[in-house]
Amino acid sequence: MFKHLFKLIWNKKKQNFLLMTEMLVSFMVLFAVFTLMVYYYDNYKKPMGFKYQDVWVINISNAYQTKNTDSLDLYYETLRKIIKALPQVQELSFVSGNTPFSQQINEGGLTYKGKHIEHLNNFTGEDSYKDALQVEVLEGRWFNKQDAVSKYRSVVIDADLKEATFGKGQAVGKLLGNDDDKNKMKVVGVIQTIKRNGDYVKPGPGIYYRADTGSFRWLNKILVRVSPGADAAFEGRLYKTMANYMKNSNIEIEHLTNKLKDTNYFAVIPMIILSIVSCFLIINVALGLFGVLWYNINKRKGEIGLRRAIGATGNSVSSQLVMESMILATLSLIIGSFFAIQFPLLNVFNLQAHIYIIGMLLSIIFVYLLVLVCSLYPGRQAAAIYPAVALHEE
Amino acid sequence: MIRLQNIEKVYRTDTIETLALNSVSLDVAKGEFLSIMGPSGCGKSTLLNIMGLLDVPSKGSIKIADRVTENLNDKQLAQFRNKTLGFIFQSYHLINDLQVLDNVELPLLYRDTTAKERKMLATEALEKVGLANRVKHFPTQLSGGQRQRVAIARAIVGKPDIILADEPTGNLDSAMGNEIMDILINLNRNEGTTIVMVTHDENMAHKTHRLVRLFDGSQVQ
Ligand SMILES: Nc1ncnc2c1ncn2[C@@H]1O[C@H](COP(=O)(O)OP(=O)(O)O)[C@@H](O)[C@H]1O
Ligand SMILES: [Mg+2]
Repeated sequence: MFKHLFKLIWNKKKQNFLLMTEMLVSFMVLFAVFTLMVYYYDNYKKPMGFKYQDVWVINISNAYQTKNTDSLDLYYETLRKIIKALPQVQELSFVSGNTPFSQQINEGGLTYKGKHIEHLNNFTGEDSYKDALQVEVLEGRWFNKQDAVSKYRSVVIDADLKEATFGKGQAVGKLLGNDDDKNKMKVVGVIQTIKRNGDYVKPGPGIYYRADTGSFRWLNKILVRVSPGADAAFEGRLYKTMANYMKNSNIEIEHLTNKLKDTNYFAVIPMIILSIVSCFLIINVALGLFGVLWYNINKRKGEIGLRRAIGATGNSVSSQLVMESMILATLSLIIGSFFAIQFPLLNVFNLQAHIYIIGMLLSIIFVYLLVLVCSLYPGRQAAAIYPAVALHEE
Repeated sequence: MIRLQNIEKVYRTDTIETLALNSVSLDVAKGEFLSIMGPSGCGKSTLLNIMGLLDVPSKGSIKIADRVTENLNDKQLAQFRNKTLGFIFQSYHLINDLQVLDNVELPLLYRDTTAKERKMLATEALEKVGLANRVKHFPTQLSGGQRQRVAIARAIVGKPDIILADEPTGNLDSAMGNEIMDILINLNRNEGTTIVMVTHDENMAHKTHRLVRLFDGSQVQ
């Protein structure tokens, strides 16, 4: 019977071409949507890597500048003390501009044992960074005073960079860096990757450098952990205190909770648009499919009647029609999968292979279900046709 | 072979009720070649459909090949039609998207057969109707007479006891019609197949063993 249906489909390839194209297009669109969904979900279920609640970002522009490093350090140490003295401030760290959920990036690359790591995020923070953000240390430790005098420059790497370089093995104590040996950096700790791009978008690997004297020249942001009850009144007080001290600077305070919301929003919007578009497309395809199958049944009434006359039951007629659509779907899906599999093979968007594969499987299941649902009812109708009536019409 | 008793068939639509058959009783013996004649709309096709178990009578009883068929379910009916009956229609009812051989194999698909057996039996049937050299053609590439011969091959491929033919020569000129008629006569003679044929053509009817005339749903002769 299978071979028979195959012949029937093959001999009608012209009529079936349109239907197959529709199935193929919906598969490809679904593949895009599901892959994106899986990608988002994949990132969503990973830990945030730090506690963003009650962390505020202070942006300082047009700050105090001087050629003299000592007086610069003194200026900022005083600022630190002033802020820290406020009752609701628990911890703070001067940091590079690429704070979590900000649009700023600072990317570089790194080669380790012939393996090149691209889009590596470079972060700079102080010894207090760990407590300010409450990052999760997975291996080794965060920076401390010892690192100022160590032989190699100390770095902390995140879990993603560790996996890309050292795999499952130990990272602490290993040397990293592109330069000759004396400029190499030594890994002192591994922390959980911070989802700096929000809940849904992959942050990419990151490496952390310790802020030292002189870093104040360019560290223009402060991350402050405040106590849970800190309110707008306190924010006003913080602002005033700082503005008093830094007469000519512009100060802006933001909350990480809000920044996260905005960041997630920007990730989710394209997703929603894509989903709406694909919904319309799927409805279109479903109606088209349904229409074609419906039309088929009316056009093939003679055939249906004949099959009944020569020994087909109503059920076998209806399952034949459903099978035909499923075979068509299978053919389209084989072609579609061939295209889809190129994405992980050619590593088009730098996503992990399993994301594509799951996206592909979900789209395959969806297309099969769609075709099944669209052909079940017409198939039922075909089974209900009286053979005598079907043979009469023509 | 076929026994119809007091068959009545009423078609009901929303507005009208048509009495298509009115108390028809008919016996067809094994090996008989029976023809049915009558004006258009008198119920010939309805009668044939009832004999072929494609339609159920409103009243009356049917016995085919010594079996009472009233209580058969859909599956049993389908099997019964497949094994016992062969159908030939005025408009051939070939599947245009299938080659001649595949068309002929069709009834065997609904039985337990291997592809090899199907091919062998279908080729044999096509030889009987003189179309062994057209197996790879599509129906649309054949003349009307040839198409009807394919339909006959399809009807006989499963070696049924009974063939029901509804105006098999209705769409054909007399030369082609005679060819078809000869095939049916030979089939009846050589294989002993019981044939019931509806026709409009007196000449064809007279070549059969017996003629039954219908008028307005009733048997008149
Ligand atoms: N499915 C049906 N529904 C309603 N009336 C029908 C149906 N089939 C046949 N008839 C009516 O029954 C009568 C007999 O039809 P039919 O057996 O096809 O006649 P014949 O084959 O002798 O030309 C006609 O009046 C026809 O209109
Ligand atoms: Mg008729």
